[in-house]
Amino acid sequence: MFFRTLVATTILAGLAFQAAAADTITVYTSQPQDQMTKVIEAFNADHPEIKIELFRSGTTEVMAKLQAEYAAGNSPADVILIADTVAMTQLKNDDRLLAFTDAPVAGINPAFIDADKTFFGTKVITTGIIYNTNLVKTAPKSWNDLLAADAAKSLIMPSPLYSGAAVIHVGTVSQQPEFGWAYYEKLAEAGAVAGQGNGTVVEAVARGEKAYGIIIEYMALNAKKKGSPVDFVFPAEGVSSITQPVAVLKGSDQVEAAKTFVAWQLSKAAQVQAAAQGYFPILPGVAQPEGYPALTTLKILPADSDAMLKADKETKEKFAELFGG
Amino acid sequence: MIRRPVMGRPHRLGGEHLLVSLLVLYVSFTTLWPLARLFSAAFQPGEDGTPLGLMLTTLASRSALRALSGTLQTALLSVAVSTVIGVALAFAVSLLKLRTRAALTFLILIPLIVPSQTMALAWIELFGAQSPILKPLGLAPPPGSTNPLYSTGGIALVMGIEHMPLVFIAVRAALRALPADLVEAARILGISPGRIGLGIVLPIVMPSVLAGSLIAFTAAIGNFGVPALLGIPGRISVLTTLIYQRLNGFGPAAAGQVATLALVLAAMAALAIVLRNIATTRIAVPLPAGTPFVPTRRAPVFEFLLWIVVLILSLVPLAALTMTALLPAIGVAFGPDTISLDQFRAVLDNPTVRRAFANSLLLAVITAAISMLVAVPLAFLSQRRTNPVLRLLDFVIEGPWVVPGTVVALGMILAFLKPLPLIGLSLYGTMAILVIAYLSRFLPLVLRPVAAAAQSADPALDEAARITGAGLNRRILSIFLPGVLPAAAAGAILVVMTALNELTLSTLLWSSGKETIGVMIFALQYEGNSTGAAAVAVLSTLLVLSLAGGATLIGSSMPKGTLPWLE
Repeated sequence: MFFRTLVATTILAGLAFQAAAADTITVYTSQPQDQMTKVIEAFNADHPEIKIELFRSGTTEVMAKLQAEYAAGNSPADVILIADTVAMTQLKNDDRLLAFTDAPVAGINPAFIDADKTFFGTKVITTGIIYNTNLVKTAPKSWNDLLAADAAKSLIMPSPLYSGAAVIHVGTVSQQPEFGWAYYEKLAEAGAVAGQGNGTVVEAVARGEKAYGIIIEYMALNAKKKGSPVDFVFPAEGVSSITQPVAVLKGSDQVEAAKTFVAWQLSKAAQVQAAAQGYFPILPGVAQPEGYPALTTLKILPADSDAMLKADKETKEKFAELFGG
Repeated sequence: MIRRPVMGRPHRLGGEHLLVSLLVLYVSFTTLWPLARLFSAAFQPGEDGTPLGLMLTTLASRSALRALSGTLQTALLSVAVSTVIGVALAFAVSLLKLRTRAALTFLILIPLIVPSQTMALAWIELFGAQSPILKPLGLAPPPGSTNPLYSTGGIALVMGIEHMPLVFIAVRAALRALPADLVEAARILGISPGRIGLGIVLPIVMPSVLAGSLIAFTAAIGNFGVPALLGIPGRISVLTTLIYQRLNGFGPAAAGQVATLALVLAAMAALAIVLRNIATTRIAVPLPAGTPFVPTRRAPVFEFLLWIVVLILSLVPLAALTMTALLPAIGVAFGPDTISLDQFRAVLDNPTVRRAFANSLLLAVITAAISMLVAVPLAFLSQRRTNPVLRLLDFVIEGPWVVPGTVVALGMILAFLKPLPLIGLSLYGTMAILVIAYLSRFLPLVLRPVAAAAQSADPALDEAARITGAGLNRRILSIFLPGVLPAAAAGAILVVMTALNELTLSTLLWSSGKETIGVMIFALQYEGNSTGAAAVAVLSTLLVLSLAGGATLIGSSMPKGTLPWLE
């Protein structure tokens, strides 16, 4: 009796955990948990028949998990929504992405879309400077203002070993003739530190542990809106930018549902929501967040993404050497 | 069921053998197989085929050595903190006549009851530049400075306080048996109370102090929550966080590579346990049996000071955490006009957080229920029988609880990543792998009290039942079970309390949709949402404390020592 109950309970418990709804897609993403919660809510308002499971971590960790799962067989992921195009291009080159030729891309700047229609930018995110308003009296204007001894020793930045936005930012800045790796060497010498993702940056600056930070704009501006003593600057030389691309994975067993999610990301409803969450929308005609400069007037640092992809490993290693893993 | 007596005997024996086989099967599946996989992975040859190559390359790498030295430094320092505070508090509580002993004892044990990651968060809030408690007092670190706890000393301090109750419990138990005659004799000789304490009582309880410190050491090397929250931003690497970072960075495929690191942790824990057994058996001082010492000296001033110390250690950090959870955003000063319940509303509105609570509750209840189902027949069988298989089983079962959780989790990944034979499904990425890991780790929490209760049961009852031909089921359910039920229930409550806030196993084994409360707190903190993390931590602490309260209410019917805070 005793062991029969025991065996039955174990088997039942095992079975219960295996069951999953038919129309469930798994999204691997680097977008913050609380934002994704709202995104899924809005998506389900339009598509109640599709259930979404989420795995969230920094872009680099999301990629690592995916690679490991591919190495072990297959990944449960159907859709991937990460910060940077470098990682996405890697997946495309590995033949992991499904071309979605009839995606609704009308009106979207072709620069934001992969030529083979495997991945699609969903919003524009730029990286600039955050500072603590209690600690800093004169707002910085330029990237070079961070090199001042006082600023550099109280500066925190996200690490490309963790954040996709940081991969692009470090890649872009090191490509600029006026900055190059010398810029990061100076920062490291003066005592600047690297945290993990952008979350650790806003945290340290809002708490007043650090006076300055390098960060993606919406995290800083959302914290400011909620009342944290921080503000954000788009530096004069220009900002680096990412497009947070989304893609359907070839290994997906729910291709139609996955495509629905990707198409929805480019729809007006999703774009309006993205703007409300503090992102520059990618769809023309959707108003951008209040207080943001017009995307067309914003100076964006030029970036050679092919070179960046080639130098990806080297960039990460150089950064780790300067600021630690 | 009525059986003819003639058929009874062989059938019963068959039943027992079947039961033993099933238990062996169960323990092999949940514990033996994963740990064996871990060992074999660690002892793999290197890429070039050298024997033990993997182990040698891993151990020679700079990051591994840095983490090993980090583990040793933080653990040893934290043991010093645990020992000094734990011994001092145990002496004060045992040797002074206190009006509020029960309340003080409970408060002293709080750092152990509250989950590690919550304790770490609470201390971060308390010591930050924006500390809601220290800043108004002018004691907070100056703005612009990093949290002083993000350091080796900080990790040691927080872990030391967290594990202090382990030393306290060990020393307090020894002091309860302190013979009154000895203290009396010293007093008559006119020896000052201070010298009685340090010169007579301390040497007598030294083996217990040592044993408690060694338990604190095993806890410290296996701690993940504190070094993860304080050490990762402080760039202080320890073995548990290094394993976590490697697995997260390179995926479960790296499990084989880091198995060596896990083995180092397990070896350190094993060494500490051997030393502890030597301390408690070999060097213990044989004491004359006599009436235990009962304190007669009132010490109102000491009692007041004791309250202050205990409040600082146990409640002030939790207060800082609660105040942070009541802020609308990080960096806002705490005040009557800024207090808001927004964070609580936001986390309770978040379906992922709600699912984490549901997952943790489900995991905790399933683990407790199955552990009870296994512990009762196991204790019944090993009660008098000296079956060598069962003795070995007892030893194996203790393993996952005494080695660091990271070791157990790695074993689970290695054992269950590949699809299981017969069913062709991989358990990795399902709730099942979490259930198995929890079952493996928490079984001793139920088995120990049940076995202790079984020891005190009268064997004549079972003998009588056997002779009159009662079947195995009847003997377990009607004779054995009623006697051990309170102990099993107490053990089950301990499992629920511990499993609810489990972080070390979950953080390596969770996958999307299977998040637990511990994982949620950790993830929110790392996204830069520390106010949200604080709110979840406060909610989960309330849950655990109310469970502790509930357990206390029914605690009177339980065997002594089952609930560590009940005297």
